[in-house]
Amino acid sequence: MREIQLPLSQTQKVRLQKALEQLESLSTKVNSDASVIIADSIHVNHEDGVLKGHGTADLNGEVVATLCGVVERVNKLVYVRALRSRYKPEVGDIVIGRVVEVAQKRWRLEINYNQDAVLLLSSMNMPDGVQRRRTAVDELNMRCIFEENDVVCAEVRGFQHDGLHLQARSRKYGKLNRGQLLTVPPYLVKRQKQHFHHLEEFGIDLILGCNGFIWVGEHVEAKDDMIEDQVSQSDSQVLFPNKNCVSLEEQEKNYTILETRKYISRAANAVRVLSTLGFNITLEIIKGIIDLSLSMNLDIHDMLGSEFCVLVAEKEAERRSSMKKRR
Amino acid sequence: METDRPDGRTPNQLRPLAYSCSILHRAHGSASWAQGETKVLAAVYGPKAGTKKNENPEKASIEVIWKPKTGQIGKMEKEYEMILKRTLESICIRTIYPNTTTSVIVQVVHDDGALLPCAINAACAALVDAGIPLKHLAVAICCSVTDSGCIILDPTKDEEERSLQVGSEPMENGIMTSVTQGAMSVNDYLHCLERGRAACASLSEFVRKNIGTKSTSEPSKAG
Repeated sequence: MREIQLPLSQTQKVRLQKALEQLESLSTKVNSDASVIIADSIHVNHEDGVLKGHGTADLNGEVVATLCGVVERVNKLVYVRALRSRYKPEVGDIVIGRVVEVAQKRWRLEINYNQDAVLLLSSMNMPDGVQRRRTAVDELNMRCIFEENDVVCAEVRGFQHDGLHLQARSRKYGKLNRGQLLTVPPYLVKRQKQHFHHLEEFGIDLILGCNGFIWVGEHVEAKDDMIEDQVSQSDSQVLFPNKNCVSLEEQEKNYTILETRKYISRAANAVRVLSTLGFNITLEIIKGIIDLSLSMNLDIHDMLGSEFCVLVAEKEAERRSSMKKRR
Repeated sequence: METDRPDGRTPNQLRPLAYSCSILHRAHGSASWAQGETKVLAAVYGPKAGTKKNENPEKASIEVIWKPKTGQIGKMEKEYEMILKRTLESICIRTIYPNTTTSVIVQVVHDDGALLPCAINAACAALVDAGIPLKHLAVAICCSVTDSGCIILDPTKDEEERSLQVGSEPMENGIMTSVTQGAMSVNDYLHCLERGRAACASLSEFVRKNIGTKSTSEPSKAG
């Protein structure tokens, strides 16, 4: 991980060091003998016919590591779980990407992978919700759906001959509006059953993408959005054919109240604090940090200060030690 | 016989080493390597989708960009880029990411002799930081032959007269890259290789200790 680059005073440095040492003592006992460096040999029993997985290579009949990380063994599979690598897509992952190109019948999305992902026009629902075959008119209107630099939420469909394919066949996927996009290392986001979270007390949506892109935005009801889109689409076609003209109704629709914007910024700063410290990003920890900052009556920009980061590290150490005692 | 060096070192003594990684936020991997006053900062971006001219349908390609401290890129910098590119290509496992390009940007912060080995060490450390699969950890060292025929390690700018740069694999103790400048006899060349190989062993231990320390401490924060 990146070295924690915070302007720490002497007292804060000691407190942070103590909290990190406590966290290390809680988990190092399990992992200390499993970390490897590049070109280290991994001890395996060759009679069992082990499978060499990701991050390993065969060299003169010996299994060596090609990455720095932790050795994991699953039955006969031996692989190295790297902590500093790019996102590795799996089928069914929920990812957030940014549109970089609108090509013929497809959009290209940047999802922190070594090549751009492809979202086909036929792999997503049309905005009006009608299930029908895509026509040439739909191809011409692709920029009305997504244009360059839009943020899109999608699901990994699989690998095809021309690259990684995504799909957005549900109402919960699609374009993301009125929020913040954050980028964290992908290993901080664990794969869970639920990656869409609605924080009701704050009125915001939280999407933890498996590729390290995290979206914090205003809450959007899925069904109402369809009806509103239909009404505004017909209105804009009839009344305002010029795209540059933004009507007062659309301004009111795109406006987010100040209270919600503050909550969005507070949640985004909570994610940034976790990314700075290198902690796992889950819903419970994010909620805990938001509540901690609210209870201290902290300003939003003070959440990124060194004092609050040290406090978050200490709280996390207490939480994990209490969880360990509970078991 | 021993030769007095201007900074008081023995012929086999290296200058103090300094190494840090993950210092650039936007790069996928970054490392800084300093030997004495010579300092190099390396950043790795990628693997990312390759440009049309660089793409190879079977292997990943590596692009090295050398940034001198001042001035334009001349012939010497072009040669450094080529040497660095071939060295990195030989240690990377390039078949894992076909159709991609990995950019390695090497920025010279200060040059006080033995610049190319410093750049090789920084680039390899940056590749490790970026999580790119490597076959070996490569380290590099520089030897020099003085006028009196004595062989010294890790020369400074003033001592750099007839130099030999050795990049070796610590695991097999093989040589991947060897560059000579100036004229020297065959015996001097072989002696330089022996000295360089021995110095690379200690350098490799230094690198592994530093990377191992970070690797051990990482799971406690991420797990």
